[in-house]
Amino acid sequence: MKTLTRLALAAAIGLAGSAATAEGIYTPNLSYRTGPFAATGIPIMNGQADYMTMLNARDGGIGGAMIDFEECETGYSTEKGVECYERTKAEAVVTQPWSTGITLQVLPKTNVDMIPILAPGYGFSPMANGKVFQWAFNPPASYWDAASMIMQYIADGDMESLKGKKIVLLHLDHPFGKEPLPVLEAMAEAYDFELVPIPVGLKEMQNQSAQWLQIRRERPDNVVMWGWGAMNAGAITEAVKTKFPMENFIGVWWAGHDEDLKQVGQDGKGYKSISWSMPQPDAPLMADIKEYVVDAGLSQQEDLNSVFYQRGLVISMMLAEAIRAAQEMHGVTEITAAQLRDGLENLNITAERLEELGMTGMVPPFSTSCSNHTGHSGAWMLEWDGEKFVQASDLLAADASFITPLEEEKAAEYAEANAPWPVNESCE
Amino acid sequence: MLYRTAGQFKTSYRADQALFPIRQDAFLLGVILLCAWVIFPLTASEFTFQTILTPILIYSLAALGLNILTGFAGQLSLGTGAFMGVGAYACYKLITLMPWLNPVVAILMSGVFSAGVGVLFGIPSLRIKGFYLAIATLAAQFFLVWLFEKWAWLYNFNSSGAIQVPNLDMFGLYVAGPQASSMTQYYLVLGITCLLTWICINLTRGTLGRTWKATRDMDIAAELIGIDLMRSKLTAFAVSSYVVGVAGALFVFMWRGAAEPNLFDIPLSFRVLFIAIIGGLGSVLGNYLGAILIVGLPVVLNTVPRAIGIEIDSALVEHLNIMIVGTLIIFFLVVEPHGLNQLWRLIREKLIIWPFPH
Repeated sequence: MKTLTRLALAAAIGLAGSAATAEGIYTPNLSYRTGPFAATGIPIMNGQADYMTMLNARDGGIGGAMIDFEECETGYSTEKGVECYERTKAEAVVTQPWSTGITLQVLPKTNVDMIPILAPGYGFSPMANGKVFQWAFNPPASYWDAASMIMQYIADGDMESLKGKKIVLLHLDHPFGKEPLPVLEAMAEAYDFELVPIPVGLKEMQNQSAQWLQIRRERPDNVVMWGWGAMNAGAITEAVKTKFPMENFIGVWWAGHDEDLKQVGQDGKGYKSISWSMPQPDAPLMADIKEYVVDAGLSQQEDLNSVFYQRGLVISMMLAEAIRAAQEMHGVTEITAAQLRDGLENLNITAERLEELGMTGMVPPFSTSCSNHTGHSGAWMLEWDGEKFVQASDLLAADASFITPLEEEKAAEYAEANAPWPVNESCE
Repeated sequence: MLYRTAGQFKTSYRADQALFPIRQDAFLLGVILLCAWVIFPLTASEFTFQTILTPILIYSLAALGLNILTGFAGQLSLGTGAFMGVGAYACYKLITLMPWLNPVVAILMSGVFSAGVGVLFGIPSLRIKGFYLAIATLAAQFFLVWLFEKWAWLYNFNSSGAIQVPNLDMFGLYVAGPQASSMTQYYLVLGITCLLTWICINLTRGTLGRTWKATRDMDIAAELIGIDLMRSKLTAFAVSSYVVGVAGALFVFMWRGAAEPNLFDIPLSFRVLFIAIIGGLGSVLGNYLGAILIVGLPVVLNTVPRAIGIEIDSALVEHLNIMIVGTLIIFFLVVEPHGLNQLWRLIREKLIIWPFPH
């Protein structure tokens, strides 16, 4: 018993010693390193944490203020997410909710609690409309952008060529998976192709034989996948098993995880995933990450060149740039949540700025404004070459003529359903 | 010492059968009610309201509903989560179809819908028993969650398939939706929970409760002494589903603010079932004790390392948490298989005869 107590004590002291209590700007992250989605969560969370650690070690934080980047574990559960939100909101300048369920829960509270939500590349697509969603940001591209860009890639620029094609949307039966449906349905009508949505229930993620049987029967020209976590690996292995031509199989950016493809290796060759981030092993930033974080033993990541890890870096870069913009606008170092909102609204990530940050090519240049909270950066198509993801297209841009009216319509619906909902009419 | 019964004489059968035959019990309940109605709300922070007080009350109410069916009437149910969902969706439809409706009335009415669905799925219980009935209620669970996903009218054709609670006011005060304050919602939940608990205590002590218990203990014997089994079982399903449905409406409207269909999936049913089992089947108090252990304890465990200044990696805390809560559940079930309620009864018994053990 005595040894056990001593061991526990030693462990407690060891743990206490290893984590320094940082003061400064508090940017919590509602992470999920446990639970069914952990495999995809861990590299992103590592990337986010490592970028902030690097800034603290290299520059002493941002504009002289240290970043207190802390994780609160949710395990992707909405209940835990709300607990984390309540726990952190007193001091937090930002909420990074991570799951669509948590985003839906936190979104209505933003006008009351006045803490901006940063949901890069996920969440509710109409959040792009800054007039209605004053406190929510989903740079650099939304799911509706992704749907539009994937269709453009399939059409190879000529949308008329989609006529008569059959496209299967294999999606998670969950708010996240249903996100692209309004855009794809509108496009199917406009360009006269057939859209076949095939839902995958949360319980069937790992066993999709029924869905792939249906795909074989439908004989679609392309399969577009809106998958996450265990669903991706399930779909990819099933596609290989049913000998579906991989080059006609395209996933959203959360369905482009290296580990899922490594399971099938060469058989997965040709699989594509749209992505607003691209790994750049030779970027100057990566050298800094290696020097200040990895070599200092502060990183938990093994593969620094995976798509998801580097996307995590980009996500933290957006937050860091927003903090910097807020500091400049308000002339203070210790910014508040309301000031960060201004910063997020005035993000201007130009090619020059990316060069300065040593991140050229890791994310397309974009900028946000009062009315545009997404930035609509565009994205690249990445292709699995059997060992890693490589670039397969030039920068694609979403078709705003489809997306903007839909965004306005759905945002207005949301505001109406949640009345009284303040709308910022001063935006252009 | 604390539970000295000397000097408390019962001079009538009525006094002997009172809910609190010992004065100290009534006093203790008074203290708990005082805490719940006055002291907690005065001292609690937003965090405490949102993560401990309100959820414990709502889960207790759901477990109470299940306990009426499983603990008092002996019909095992695995469909609690889905019945909570029926309550929540019914409340959502009532509110959106009739925006002028008082929210409390809507919440209390939504239980009627889940009671109806409960009776419908309870009909097989007249022929099948035990594990087979559990399978029938499991079918209800899967069917209803499937229905919540596929029947778009239920969520007003919202593209994300989730329901979102609008801002609702009652006499100029917001009671639901993002504008509502946690304290208002807590008081509403507390009020409804107290009311339903009071009704359930009286139901289980009266004629209906006795027929349920007779059915539970041996249904053939119950039938032989003239109890109408159909009536007994179906009323148990109706009352249980009503309480569970109201708990579901409170769950979404007074606490979560938004819900997607898979929220009401089987993990929720199991959670409520665990609360009822660990608290003690066939008791009212046990539901509260179970909810405190299952809902409250993980939150407290998460807060402890931070409060005493130990910085542990958040994912590690979560892992530790799962292990500690799991161990505690096993511990309590080993020490007292009849649940926390029985544990409390033993403690009370010992206190009454103290200092003379048997």
